[in-house]
Amino acid sequence: MAGRGARLYWAIQWRRNDGLGALFLVLAVFAVVYAVLFHGIFAIGAASKFVQGWFPTAMVAAAQTIVMLTGGIDLSVGPMVSLGSVVAASSMDGPLGVFGGVLSVLVLGAVVGAIVGVFVAIGRYPAIIVTLALSFVLRGVALLIMPRPGGFVPPLLSDFLAGVHPTTAILLLLLVIIWKLYQATPLGLGLIAAGDNAEGAYRSGVSVTAARMCAYVVSSVLQALAGLYMAAKTGSGDPLIGEPMTLAAISAAVLGGVGFLGGQGTMRGALAGSLLMSILISVMFFLRLPLVAQYIVQGLIIIVTVALPLIRVWWRRTA
Amino acid sequence: MGVQNAVLGAHNVSKAFFGNPVLREVSIQLAAGRIHALLGENGAGKSTLINLLSGTLAPDSGEILVDGRPVTALTPREAHDLGIAVVQQELSLASHLSIAENIGLGAYTRRGGLVDYGRLAAAVAEIGKELGLVESPDTPVGRLPLGRRQIVEIAKALYIKPRILIFDEPTSSLAAPDVALLMRLVRRLRDRGVAILYISHRLNEILDFCDYVTVLKDGSVTADRPLAGLDPTGLVRLMVGRDPRNLFLPYASQSTGALVLETKDFRAAAAVGIDFELYHGEILGVGGLVGHGQEDFMMGLCGAIPAKADHFRIFVDGEAVRSAPFASVAEANARGVAYIPADRRKEGLLLPHSIDFNLLLPLFASRSVERRRGAEESAITERLAQRLNIRGDRRRPAQALSGGNQQKVAVAKWLPLEPSVLLLNDPTRGVDVDTKREIYLALRAMAAEGKAVVLLSTDTPELVHLCDRVMVFHKGGVAATLPHAQASEEAIVAVAMGVQKAPALRGEAV
Repeated sequence: MAGRGARLYWAIQWRRNDGLGALFLVLAVFAVVYAVLFHGIFAIGAASKFVQGWFPTAMVAAAQTIVMLTGGIDLSVGPMVSLGSVVAASSMDGPLGVFGGVLSVLVLGAVVGAIVGVFVAIGRYPAIIVTLALSFVLRGVALLIMPRPGGFVPPLLSDFLAGVHPTTAILLLLLVIIWKLYQATPLGLGLIAAGDNAEGAYRSGVSVTAARMCAYVVSSVLQALAGLYMAAKTGSGDPLIGEPMTLAAISAAVLGGVGFLGGQGTMRGALAGSLLMSILISVMFFLRLPLVAQYIVQGLIIIVTVALPLIRVWWRRTA
Repeated sequence: MGVQNAVLGAHNVSKAFFGNPVLREVSIQLAAGRIHALLGENGAGKSTLINLLSGTLAPDSGEILVDGRPVTALTPREAHDLGIAVVQQELSLASHLSIAENIGLGAYTRRGGLVDYGRLAAAVAEIGKELGLVESPDTPVGRLPLGRRQIVEIAKALYIKPRILIFDEPTSSLAAPDVALLMRLVRRLRDRGVAILYISHRLNEILDFCDYVTVLKDGSVTADRPLAGLDPTGLVRLMVGRDPRNLFLPYASQSTGALVLETKDFRAAAAVGIDFELYHGEILGVGGLVGHGQEDFMMGLCGAIPAKADHFRIFVDGEAVRSAPFASVAEANARGVAYIPADRRKEGLLLPHSIDFNLLLPLFASRSVERRRGAEESAITERLAQRLNIRGDRRRPAQALSGGNQQKVAVAKWLPLEPSVLLLNDPTRGVDVDTKREIYLALRAMAAEGKAVVLLSTDTPELVHLCDRVMVFHKGGVAATLPHAQASEEAIVAVAMGVQKAPALRGEAV
């Protein structure tokens, strides 16, 4: 019985790679280019530094994916990361220390996620409007708490999260495992069903509201934790550090094949998308491209990768 | 009227949408071990009744009874827990989840909080064997053709081991062998004591294996009786029997006999092999059950979807001007063919824009870049408004109008182009009686001017009273073209249901 279940489970998981071939191929090509350009990547120091650079993007890409799977979108990712970093850096010198800091960040994420969830899942407001408005509020609150970078993060925490060791890689692995477990619960599958066919899911007895609500809370907590990680990495809080991450999260998810209409996409795709963007930035850094050129190349890669399946369909039709 | 072993029932339920009554004091009782047929024309309220019985909608008044006890605020989830399953016509599947995950959706067994994939695999294998579901259970549902998805939908209903099973047109997209399989399955379930409610437009299926029938007509129950002793004709009579309303003008043919369009073996999407000709001054009806190709036929004629034909002619002043179906709507419009879509809110009008602007829109499309002339425009819109009796300030946005008046705008806007062929897709759906009458008058007036009117309608009396001829679609083709004298409601419904091809039923003289 158990063997049969495992067989079905892994067969389903394997089928979810459908349509990701192009992305994996592009990713492999750039990974090889990067390794050729920079042999040092295989040393523990450079490797952990690379993973630490990628990790926050991976987290926000995951956060965006969860929301997009429900058929929503989150435009407040960047300000939420900033606020997370600010709250982390201003609460760690309290009586509860690091523990208090982490707890505050978790509470922040859960509360903000619940607020979005109330509007979107219960009030049926469009996610794009709610999170756009929220992005202004969060940005304002972050700047109120900490008008300029500062605050305090214990060096011990910084070293634990961003030192020369594979802790971050382990955290990433943990993130993947937790997602896999979540996706194997009725609530996790309900999330995909609700994004794909909300009416049908509701008629099937899925609690669509709970699935969406849960998605927003989980997503916000992930974003807040990404902020905490940024604070630990830089050693201080910064009210604007998350700004580029809103679009980075959407780009990574789109690169990873996550659809805007809901129900379509995989976490592995989004993570691969964020990894591709990280590698791209590193490669262009090694090629000494000016920053402006990097933006252009980044945009072009997204367009090309997204267009690859279309080109393949067109190719098949004409052949 | 209580039934001994009634497991699910509705008692005097009523439901209205936006003040429009859909069900009026309807009662129905499903009994264990009985196959109960629910019959009615499109729009009779069948789907609404199912939604009430399965907890998707709540009745405005009346009660839903489970095992004789009233349940309040039934939700789909509770309905599931009570053993009520529905095979939806609008499939309830998630296309990116696998077959197995879809079958278990909403009712997974868990182990330690996680979905128990072992149990799921076993259950899916068992149901799959019963249903002939040969596809691998890990296949994403989006990869399956529609008929196979229907089988998954059925499997999903069986997964919860229901006591009450509701089928909403389960065979509409099934291949013949699957239909036979389904019939055997339904009989087996009945013998196990499951209460079954079966909705289908296939009368032969119903006569074949249902035990009891409830007929809905315009939201009321018109028959509730055992099926024994009924034949197809009897069933059809139960479905159409209604009070005649003084809605239609006396019929008078205005057909001139001059050809405006003829085509042979016309094909567009689901519509295949259609031969027909159209005359100036004629009102040609298009009937049939929803989804038998008539919409595709209309869309293909006006160039909205790709169409092919062995022979295609459009005549202007007796001269053939075109020998192939239109490739685009603009081409059709240029040759005097205009299409008025069924969904006026989405396809027929720009709701936020003014009535005037909507009335002028086709005219804009026919012109190149030039300055708009206010005086000329207002003269045109004034004339159109008078012609179709569109009252009030025309600077209001179109959404301010009632559905019927919106429809009048959607029709009127084509008139400045002087079309010779008007294709109307169900123009009176959801329109009140008075406006219906105005629309009928307008159609008559247009025919009198020599325009050819093709009227697709789901309202059978319209076809009977207005049309010179009625083409009845069945399974993508024209099953019969009935001349006015033979186009009775019974005849049209019988042909649409595939009961008989030739109009042997005697038409009532009108």
